[in-house]
Amino acid sequence: MIDAIGKHELAKMFARAAEEIRREHSYLSELDSVAGDGDHGTTMLRVAERLEAAAGANTPEDLSHLLRDAGWSVMGVDGGASSALLGTFFAGMADAAIDEGSMDCTQVAKAFESGLAAVAKQTKAQPGDKTMMDALVPAVGAISAAAASGKTVVEAFETAASAARSGADSTKDMVARYGRAKFLGEKTRGSPDAGARSVALLFKGYYAGLAHERKG
Amino acid sequence: MRMKKFINDPKHLVPELLEGLALVFPSKVRLLRSNIVARAVPKAPGKVRLVTLGGSGHEPGLSGFVGEGMLDMSVAGEIFAAPGAPRCMEAIRAAAKGGEGVLLVVLNHAGDVLSGNIAMEAAKREGITIQRVLTQDGMSSDPAVKDRRGLVGFLPVYKVAGAAAEQGASLDDCRKIAERMERNTRTLAVAVRTATHPSTGQAIFELGEDEMEIGMGQHGEAGTGRMKLKTADETAEIMLNMLLADLGVTAGEELLVLVNGAGATTLMELLILFRSAARILEAKKIKLARSAVGEFITTQEQAGFQMMIARMDPELIRLWDAPADSPYFVVR
Repeated sequence: MIDAIGKHELAKMFARAAEEIRREHSYLSELDSVAGDGDHGTTMLRVAERLEAAAGANTPEDLSHLLRDAGWSVMGVDGGASSALLGTFFAGMADAAIDEGSMDCTQVAKAFESGLAAVAKQTKAQPGDKTMMDALVPAVGAISAAAASGKTVVEAFETAASAARSGADSTKDMVARYGRAKFLGEKTRGSPDAGARSVALLFKGYYAGLAHERKG
Repeated sequence: MRMKKFINDPKHLVPELLEGLALVFPSKVRLLRSNIVARAVPKAPGKVRLVTLGGSGHEPGLSGFVGEGMLDMSVAGEIFAAPGAPRCMEAIRAAAKGGEGVLLVVLNHAGDVLSGNIAMEAAKREGITIQRVLTQDGMSSDPAVKDRRGLVGFLPVYKVAGAAAEQGASLDDCRKIAERMERNTRTLAVAVRTATHPSTGQAIFELGEDEMEIGMGQHGEAGTGRMKLKTADETAEIMLNMLLADLGVTAGEELLVLVNGAGATTLMELLILFRSAARILEAKKIKLARSAVGEFITTQEQAGFQMMIARMDPELIRLWDAPADSPYFVVR
């Protein structure tokens, strides 16, 4: 059973997350065309590529170094707000005091909280505004809660994946208040936010990467 | 509808268009690595540097305004997408060398603002002196919209701040001039036909055959003023009245008026529209101090235009008239 995340696990998590994004990238672009210019899926494909590369061969073994590089690499994707914020999230995770080689559940929670805090410094968007925050905030909350009640990292990501999914689904009935979409107001009601959906896919991948690892 | 564009591999649109720009104007601009456009001859040392960033597909905006008396560097993003913070950082670092600080001009679009802010924080950590001006001239037809987009109002900001920097103004003064220009500028966009995204071939918005939409964003982000197509005189009157009211212009004041084509609207139409605007201003006894008509920022083959007004004062007029030698804006 996995009770800590090192570079090996991170690589599996990023690889599975990338797989999830690849499977749904056309749908993500379709969602984005409701409110934006329909390029979110393409952006996320590039983000996925860079995440995989960040935990690949010849990358730092030190996790905070690896995460900071991953963050700046994702920020380097020309994808508007989504890649900038996701990159900020990963770079922000590196600001938490984490051990070099692996993170236990408490440290994972600290790292994710730190990532979320970095994102919150760059955007005023809150849950309810129909953005990626609707998936990200509950997902990180689930990890913190799991860590506080002594759960394993696999259990933590299981609840995080499901929280991200419900959060993303809940954006369907919301009206956009941030990004380009805000200019559309009521027209955005009825379909989920592409950024929130992407975050849900990332967390689904993280969990799948860890769960698969456990069985294997 | 199938996309009919003269392009090669859609993946290489941005580097290819920038290479083209540098080849046409070798005495004005050069292309740095990573889609950054710089002046061919760097500004003299000891002067403030102007850097901007923004998505591509809007030519000649924004890199077409790099040159003497205007921008020092422009970071070009992918089609309709902000460049990432690392490349903005690279441009800021390069621009900062030998200069008296960097003025970062950011058009108010979520991605651009984020990348600009992240890069600015990182630049400050490296000890670079940098300040930012956010352009948000774009009115929506919906008065409830408070957060305004950056439309063609970037042009007078580049122009006056660029002139001030060239004349040796301090970073604080360049920023203040840029902010004064920005505060006094309002733009409204109208669209009559959509463009296709050059990478995907998809229409970027839907609009009925006989409709127009006032208050639309640079990428076809919807406004709320959808109506039947009107004549040039009627359209100019609706738009100009909204702009004048919003800026609070009164008789006797001096304005810069600019009409910017979105890509498929002809110069014939732009000139007719400008004539309408000039007639209306004359009737209202508002002085047309300076003017510009042409394509400064486009969205592919979108049909429509932006009408911009800016309240001028003697100093802003002097800076607007100062020499500039960028690929697509020249003052001699």
